[in-house]
Amino acid sequence: MTNLPAITSRDPLRRGFVALPWAVACGMLTYAFIAGGYFVTVMSFAMIYAVFVIGLNIFMGTAGQVSFGHNAFAALSGYTSAVLTATYYWEPIAAFAAGLALALLVALVVGWPTLRLKGHYLAMATLAIGLIVYEIATQWQSVTQGYMGISGISPLAFWGYEIVSERGKLFALVLIVLLASLAAARLRASRFGRALAAIAGSEDAARALGIDVAHYKLAAFLVSAAYAALAGSLFVHVVEFVSPEVFGLHMVVLAFTMLYVGGIGTLGGPILGAVIVSLLPEMFRGFKDYQDLFYGAGLIILLIYAPKGLAALSDLLPRKGRA
Amino acid sequence: MTPVLEVRQLSARYGRVEALHEISLSVADGEFVAVLGPNGAGKSTLMRAIMGLIANSGAVSFRGAVLPRQSPDTCVARGVVLVPEGRGIFAPMTVAENLELGAYLLNDADEFERRRTRVFDLFPRLRERLGQIAGSLSGGEQQMLAVGRALMANPKILLLDEPSLGLAPKVTDEILGTLALLNKGGLPIVLVEQKAPLALRLTSRAYLLSVGRLVAEIDPRTITSHDELARYYLS
Amino acid sequence: MTRKLLTALAALAVALSAAPSGAQQVYKIGISAGLTGYAATVDRGWRDGVEIAAAALNAKGGIMGRKIEVITEDNRSEPQEAVTVYRKMISSDKVEIFLSGCVSAGNFAGAPLTVRAQIPMVLCSILPQNPDHVKWAFSTLPPAGFEVATRLEYLKGKTQIKKIGVLHDPSPYAVLQKNIAEKTASNYGLELVGIEQYKQDDADLSVQISKMHAAGASAILKIGLGGTTLTAAKNIKQLGLDMLMLTSIEDLAVFRPVAEVLGDKFFFVASPSQVYDALPDSPMKAEITKFLGPWKAKYQDRDPNWGARGWDAVQITAKAIEQGKSFEGARVRDQLEKITGFQGTTGVYNMSPTVHQGITVNPFLLASIVGGRVIVVK
Repeated sequence: MTNLPAITSRDPLRRGFVALPWAVACGMLTYAFIAGGYFVTVMSFAMIYAVFVIGLNIFMGTAGQVSFGHNAFAALSGYTSAVLTATYYWEPIAAFAAGLALALLVALVVGWPTLRLKGHYLAMATLAIGLIVYEIATQWQSVTQGYMGISGISPLAFWGYEIVSERGKLFALVLIVLLASLAAARLRASRFGRALAAIAGSEDAARALGIDVAHYKLAAFLVSAAYAALAGSLFVHVVEFVSPEVFGLHMVVLAFTMLYVGGIGTLGGPILGAVIVSLLPEMFRGFKDYQDLFYGAGLIILLIYAPKGLAALSDLLPRKGRA
Repeated sequence: MTPVLEVRQLSARYGRVEALHEISLSVADGEFVAVLGPNGAGKSTLMRAIMGLIANSGAVSFRGAVLPRQSPDTCVARGVVLVPEGRGIFAPMTVAENLELGAYLLNDADEFERRRTRVFDLFPRLRERLGQIAGSLSGGEQQMLAVGRALMANPKILLLDEPSLGLAPKVTDEILGTLALLNKGGLPIVLVEQKAPLALRLTSRAYLLSVGRLVAEIDPRTITSHDELARYYLS
Repeated sequence: MTRKLLTALAALAVALSAAPSGAQQVYKIGISAGLTGYAATVDRGWRDGVEIAAAALNAKGGIMGRKIEVITEDNRSEPQEAVTVYRKMISSDKVEIFLSGCVSAGNFAGAPLTVRAQIPMVLCSILPQNPDHVKWAFSTLPPAGFEVATRLEYLKGKTQIKKIGVLHDPSPYAVLQKNIAEKTASNYGLELVGIEQYKQDDADLSVQISKMHAAGASAILKIGLGGTTLTAAKNIKQLGLDMLMLTSIEDLAVFRPVAEVLGDKFFFVASPSQVYDALPDSPMKAEITKFLGPWKAKYQDRDPNWGARGWDAVQITAKAIEQGKSFEGARVRDQLEKITGFQGTTGVYNMSPTVHQGITVNPFLLASIVGGRVIVVK
């Protein structure tokens, strides 16, 4: 489950391999800071997605569950932030707190019955949540303005200090991602994290050890919903606009791609996946109509040559036997 | 002797199929009891029902107190601990992490160390393999880990579901030997086995299960040949 | 593997360093268009119209001596992608004006960026809602009310129908039209007895249609693009209902099979360019002729409606630049506001500081298809 031992490997080639995706990711972030331009926007979106995927990884990677519906929590919090700041002029932090509370409440109400379901049933139930929230966003026009979307959302601000420059936003997002990742790492190393890993291994065996499985699954669901909510609110403040498509099924597909390309269940996977998957289409933008083709091919190559994700690249090399 | 574990009219079903029919049995303090029966007799179901891992009707009490139905964490907290069929170890985790999960309900570092030292005394090989991924252990070592992990919960009664499954006879002997040692130390044990002769060597009493029903309670000393045991199933 | 990754990195580096070169003598137009996704048909038409107009102007020496360069980026009909491509065209390509497609949400999402960069936009979509953003945005789209009015006028003047229903999808432009129909129907002596909504991918609309028919409606205003128009037509026929269907503007290719199903019970709102042959000689027809020449040469029978609006957007831009004798964003914006009486292919544009949606006189016609030929209903 942990991929940390790989980093301690003494084999220089192996170490180089492990470091390569990180070098690319850090290089791209640094490049974005120095060069500026639209690359800052691409990387900012990548960081917002990273927050979302870090949360999803707790539920799917660590706890071994499946959810197709976490976009719902991003939408709930994102829309709450949008409406409260654009229409009622709340402070972004206060609006986020309200959005987070709403997302957690819905996660609790939905998670309580559905998390007793297993496998496909749970996945289908979560898919339904995502679709329902999307429908609400399009239909409840007096509040969400439907497909028209909400503009005039206040920019990212912390305690009255507004971040206007694109570089400033990216810097703040990188910090948030590092904190979010750190929190996820600590969570994983805790008793709670070990219980989740046990549930992922075998629900039955975990229960036989006295782990209250339903309770922990719900807790993992709530934690990952909180990450999704944070990502949703960050998105609307960075773009200063929201419409339902932003949190549509598209978000789920992209997040899954990032999770698997980066490496599900690994600590660094979500960040790597978010950065690389966001970069990929930009690499091929010059190909115009063939961009999607190259993007798809790029993804397939990554998944063939790094089936466990970029965070587990050392697995590619022939093993010399493990200690 | 007053029984520590008492099972009264325990029934369980999988969907519409009744897998366990009103089983009643008891285990006295310090006793080593076997539950025997052919494949599909309901032995594993019985263990899972006692632990509350599946829906059931009937009552299970431990040291005079009734265990709440379907609450395995309460069972573990009170000291009723199961080594599940197929070991149930967490293959991607290290040996150390598996042992930690065994003491999941414990929140005391000193006590944790004491328990771990005791496990290492019983299974020195686990100490050597501490940092290794559990999935890469040999079958025997995995079974040792499963028992060791159960011991980390500081059981007051240990239930084992076919620990000999898939192991070489020599390794099986080693593990059963350790169980005998634990029992001598005063720990009551319930051992589920398909291979009756193995279990009868160690235990003081045996229950015979067939198609979800309790068919006999026997004294191993009176059984001297395999044919005699077969008689119980045929009668 | 390492070499593959290095190659990929090199490709990335090249893509990133493709910095603008020789930027002096060209005027850069940026298009954020949904070349893929739900807006693809409309936005490809718009883009091709912009390109044809740019080519026509370049053939005559460009605008004030500068050649036009058109840069199009695909926003996949998604607002998030639109933000990325707006940023790219602002900072990497350094475009000087945006003539963007019909993905409203994408243009709204990009508006804060263009306003900050002081780049005006002339859009195919409706205008942003935010007053700060509207200042820099202009639209070639006739007000949504015109499409509704054309149909209501016909029903009032040429039929005995008194009760009608509205069938629409949830897109912003359709909802806008629905709201206007709701408000204005009574002005035409018509009673709106049913408003029903559907989703763009619905495969059956008979429930909605039956409900409106049961309420007494004998005509349906169908508002929304795509295959649902044919679905609605088939449902009306299957149910054996004696109802007229009057649809919003759409690609003519969509309408031909609909006309085969409903015959003379089917009418649609048309742009002047779509009924070119039936138009009397007028300044508008002369402008459409200028556009249709190169359009037909390149695309033959393809529907000219959206392309014609893209053509207009370029002409308006050229006019604003020439009026102000400046390519500078803020100046072009100011001059766009001063464009009045400008004859385009879709109508006459009259902009002002308060009106950024320039077509103020209804240019639409009601048409139907008889024997495979598009005719204007007089």
